[in-house]
Amino acid sequence: MLSKVKSFGLRGIEGFMVDVETDVSNGLPKFDIVGLADTAIKEAKERVRTAIKNSGFEYPTKKITINLAPADVKKEGTLYDLAIAISILATDEELGLTNHNRFVMLGELSFDGQIKRVKGVLPLLIAARKQGYKKFIVPLENALEAGFIGGIDVYPISTLDECVRFLKGEAIVNKVEVCDFDKVVSSNEDMLDFSNVKGQARAKRALEIAAAGGHNLLMIGPPGSGKSMLAKCFSSILPDLTFEEALEVTKIHSVAGELDLKTGIVAKRPFRSPHHTASTVSLTGGGSNSKPGEISLAHNGVLFLDELPEYTRHTIETLRQPLEDGVITVARANATVVYPATFNLIASMNPCPCGNFGSKDRDCRCTPNQIHKYLAKLSGPIMDRIDIHVEVDSVSYDDLHSQKEEENSINIKKRVDRAREIQLKRFKNSKNYCNAKMSVPQTKKYCVLDKTGENILRTAFEKLKLSARANDRLLRLARTIADLEGEENILPQHIAEAIGYRSLDRKYWG
Amino acid sequence: MREEEKFLVLLSQFELSIKKIDNIIDKLGSNICIDDFFASKDMKAIVGEELYANIKICASEDRLRTYLKSLSSLNIKLLTRFSDDYPQKLALLQDAPYFLFCKGDISLLEEKAVSIVGSRTPSNYGRIMTDRFTEGLVKAGVVVISGLAYGVDSIAHRKALEVGGKTIAVLGSGLNNIYPAEHTSLAKEIEEKGLLISEYCPSMKATRYTFPQRNRIIAGLSDGVLITEAGLKSGTVHTKDFALDYGKDVFALPGNVNSEKSDLPNAIIKSGQGQCVTEVGDILEYFGLEKNSQKKEHAFELCLEEQEIVNLLADGDKNIEFLSEKCTFNINILNSYLTTLEIRGIIRRLPAGFYSLV
Repeated sequence: MLSKVKSFGLRGIEGFMVDVETDVSNGLPKFDIVGLADTAIKEAKERVRTAIKNSGFEYPTKKITINLAPADVKKEGTLYDLAIAISILATDEELGLTNHNRFVMLGELSFDGQIKRVKGVLPLLIAARKQGYKKFIVPLENALEAGFIGGIDVYPISTLDECVRFLKGEAIVNKVEVCDFDKVVSSNEDMLDFSNVKGQARAKRALEIAAAGGHNLLMIGPPGSGKSMLAKCFSSILPDLTFEEALEVTKIHSVAGELDLKTGIVAKRPFRSPHHTASTVSLTGGGSNSKPGEISLAHNGVLFLDELPEYTRHTIETLRQPLEDGVITVARANATVVYPATFNLIASMNPCPCGNFGSKDRDCRCTPNQIHKYLAKLSGPIMDRIDIHVEVDSVSYDDLHSQKEEENSINIKKRVDRAREIQLKRFKNSKNYCNAKMSVPQTKKYCVLDKTGENILRTAFEKLKLSARANDRLLRLARTIADLEGEENILPQHIAEAIGYRSLDRKYWG
Repeated sequence: MREEEKFLVLLSQFELSIKKIDNIIDKLGSNICIDDFFASKDMKAIVGEELYANIKICASEDRLRTYLKSLSSLNIKLLTRFSDDYPQKLALLQDAPYFLFCKGDISLLEEKAVSIVGSRTPSNYGRIMTDRFTEGLVKAGVVVISGLAYGVDSIAHRKALEVGGKTIAVLGSGLNNIYPAEHTSLAKEIEEKGLLISEYCPSMKATRYTFPQRNRIIAGLSDGVLITEAGLKSGTVHTKDFALDYGKDVFALPGNVNSEKSDLPNAIIKSGQGQCVTEVGDILEYFGLEKNSQKKEHAFELCLEEQEIVNLLADGDKNIEFLSEKCTFNINILNSYLTTLEIRGIIRRLPAGFYSLV
């Protein structure tokens, strides 16, 4: 007897169709799975056998061979359990399953016949929809994330028994209702707010500019000056995720198995802060299965690297390509996968190993050589990709306890949103969507200075000893500042302000 | 070239200590020449057998000529204690260096000079004051001498070059071994616009003993030594002691008594070893020089906002937090005015977000 059930597999975040073919023939009882299956799939035979038995069905005491086609692509994970079980049951003519091959089935089985949650349902469904499949059976636990994709019928099912009855038309299962994305977004209010941060006016302004133009930012300051706090507030002023962006983010999080069960979709911009002991692979993605790393999980959100020079140099350098291209290619023996990695890099560091360089109340005890070595950990190419450097000083007691009202994130976000709108209009017909990612010709076209502005820039280079590579960064930064103010042209004060955010280019260090 | 000069040129190729050369010269008596050196029996014992053989190999006319040629191809001028152009200021000193390897304008050696020395890790106060004194001295035509080290030394050199003045850097290593290596480009600039000197042969590396020795040349070459900021255990103490030994004037900039970095200048003032100076005029007056600058305050036209910032900075350096708190306008406007003020040279930016008037 032969039967066929459709399922889907994942390569990176892209899905591909898998046919689960089962042949049951007379012979010594045996269970074989062919088609480049990994250990988790090989072990499915125990789960499937037990689940079928415990759900009250008959498990054939015959020679069972399963083929996962296409047979030359590696497959992994537990999501084929359900398809395998159903295809075995379908060979039982007495059970009378007929329309099982009209569905794409995903799900892991437990011994008692429960269908358990699997990773990557969202990207699978998106890929399947693209290939024209319309009907799906998914675990109940995955129903929420499935609900964000319109145009398909998704049936959430919780047990193997229910699944069989549903296929035979004996049980009625309601389709997953399509969720309204906007409702999810508005229910996100648990973020830190800038009104909780006292003082730090310049750092806040710098973060506002970074949010508006998508610029990468580096905060330099002594320990305890509130760098991490500021960074955590940063997500609260970023523009809301659009539905398309949210789907992209959710795809990656779904593949990594990091999706929140309650919402089913990543509705706010991710904020990832890997510790500085993080390995390079955990940052970039990899492992034998080419899993997404932190920088991909931070896609469309914020990657916060606290104490940047403490990361190994190798790790920092690997950020170069993704910072430039917005994607990362993870090549491993089993698969070569391209993950999106367009993130806003927020980094923080101390000015010197002891952290007190330049501080008023505490003496720095580092030798010039130590400071030099510390700063040298950040290579030129990395510094090239960070537009804003801002110094953060520790806040005094008076500031901490002042009653002064600090501006809240909502107001700042309004300005950021307005600036982003201007940019979206400007870059309507090009690939990039924010000022920070402007190409050289675009910089030439959109960042024109008037005479006074040019004068300021020229004298700044001579007098302040800025390094030459700062030029384009400054222009883009000035463009964002002008956008924040709603100005069409870059005015002298915009470029002047921008120059203030390049402190690491200066030579007063050491 | 005179015989005794030729003899020192020969010895300059070897890393001989001052004491050994003193000894050799003593033994040779009044007639110093290469032939006598090899004729004397004691020399082998003084310099050691191996070195003696080496010196002998290099002693030929041809060898000396190629040596001098190789120096000049490196743009290095070699002054020995017996040269005619050996600086007057050093000639009279007990432990004057036998050799001076020079790169740059050697006429600076005879000019009125003040050395500015101090901590390798100055505070903001030290930075500002070093800058201010350097600028004032250089503008009055005084050559600024220092040691090319981190901190006060390099700040003085940089400022002197920036305002178009003359500066001499005395190295504790050979001219081809700039230490710290980070200052290589600074050394290059000094070589072009000022003078770089060292008593060690060009290939020699710095050791912990060469720096105190270098300090005696700094003290010897200058007419006065200004200490802006230094701790009690700093190498600057050597410079001060040498200067006092040589009868040079020591100027000390008073500082906060709670700041370790002002301990040395404060101690100098307290013990009466040196003059207390609070402005460049004090030093210039001492040397009978005219102060060559008009009051800055009148040179600038400030708009209302700029005036407000300048007023806030009037009593010392302030950080951005303080400024944004006190200013009547927004942070973005403040940021842009700070940059324009800085470019115009009215204020300066210090580490950790501090600003001060120039």
